[in-house]
Amino acid sequence: MRHLEPYCLTVGLARLELVRDETARDPGPDHDVAPVPVRVRVIDGALSCIARQGVAKTTLDDVARAAGCSRATVYRVFPGGKDGVLGAVVDTEVSRFFSALAVRMGEATDLEDVLVAGMTEAATRVTEHPALANLLAQEPEMVLSQLAFARMDEVLAVTCAFTTPFLGRWLDQPESKRVAEWATRIVVSYLLCPADGVDLTDAADVRRLVRLFVLPGIRALRVPEAGARTTGALQSHNPIPTTKGEAS
Amino acid sequence: MDGPRQRILEATYACVARWGLSKTTVEDAAREAGLSRATVYRYFPGGRDELIDAVVSWQFLVFFGRLYEEVHGATSLEEVLDRGLLFARRALIEHEVLQKMLEIEPDVLMPKLTVESNRTVGLIAGFLVPYLHEHGMAEGVEIHEAADFLARMILSYIASPGHWDLGDPEQVATLVRTELLAGVVGDLRPAGER
Repeated sequence: MRHLEPYCLTVGLARLELVRDETARDPGPDHDVAPVPVRVRVIDGALSCIARQGVAKTTLDDVARAAGCSRATVYRVFPGGKDGVLGAVVDTEVSRFFSALAVRMGEATDLEDVLVAGMTEAATRVTEHPALANLLAQEPEMVLSQLAFARMDEVLAVTCAFTTPFLGRWLDQPESKRVAEWATRIVVSYLLCPADGVDLTDAADVRRLVRLFVLPGIRALRVPEAGARTTGALQSHNPIPTTKGEAS
Repeated sequence: MDGPRQRILEATYACVARWGLSKTTVEDAAREAGLSRATVYRYFPGGRDELIDAVVSWQFLVFFGRLYEEVHGATSLEEVLDRGLLFARRALIEHEVLQKMLEIEPDVLMPKLTVESNRTVGLIAGFLVPYLHEHGMAEGVEIHEAADFLARMILSYIASPGHWDLGDPEQVATLVRTELLAGVVGDLRPAGER
């Protein structure tokens, strides 16, 4: 996983609601005194270029044009050139993704809700992300090579580390970790290989999956490992509080 | 399936193992197979791209064919999954050509594997349906929906086990009885009781 520069993270968090719209480049009359920094304009410009024409075809000239600055300025801010800009775009988008996930998961009031909210939000962010959609259609290798085998293990580890604390209100730490990783697998699987009749951007579909497969699995996980092989282990001796309002 | 087509596939696979996916040409495959370029083109009119895709598809089927051999004698759903996960993970780690390609050419290989893997979800699900049928489903769970869920989870764990150690039979048994089967089947019997 890339190192998240604190600056990018701040930008991602503070500008969560400005994702993918033009206001990022047009601060409006109230913001005359604080123009958008050139770094931010370059990152946003690169993102819109990628959404339009993909990564391979995006040149630094395109990025400079979209950012309203010169090529030399892009190099001054990103001495690494195109790779440097792309790295900053990825950092920004990843932090935006996790910020959005944090908002939704933080609002949840029970275990079922936190899972449904997190999985639906993740699927929706990924599906509706214009640059990502373009990449998956035009340059799938850029995305797919990150989502299987050892690199997928990294994605699982990072997502798991971020989402585990949100489950901690209902599950102990080892359980939270397992469930966070499991939920990530489910989302990635249905996104990469859509199933008939299952739309993970639809909370009702996610809720059905969570109720049918995930919650019973969590109940089974709660039983000590040694008992996991016995019949009793899979019955709900330790029902997990999933009723609405129970946590409040 | 012996014949020129098979011979070409095997020759191409040998070239890929040696030089990688990107560097293998129709000429290499023809030379390795002891056939002319024209013959290779007769079987694979799409040339190099078609040949490489066909090799990936074929090797995918070989892999899952071995997996099928490993589990088809199992007498219970739990046993199918226990044995299948243990075998598949080990076979994948020990698959030298696959591991080499993943290291040197993930960008070329991954889109192809994703396409194959999506097809395989249906194959694995179809294989599991009779076992699910025999076992009996949990209330409210539709059998094909469950088979599809299990198939995609199996593929996910095999390729990227995350924090699970799929070389450890105890962990595999726990995984099968929790994240895989707990919600799917009505009741789970202890390993060895069926």
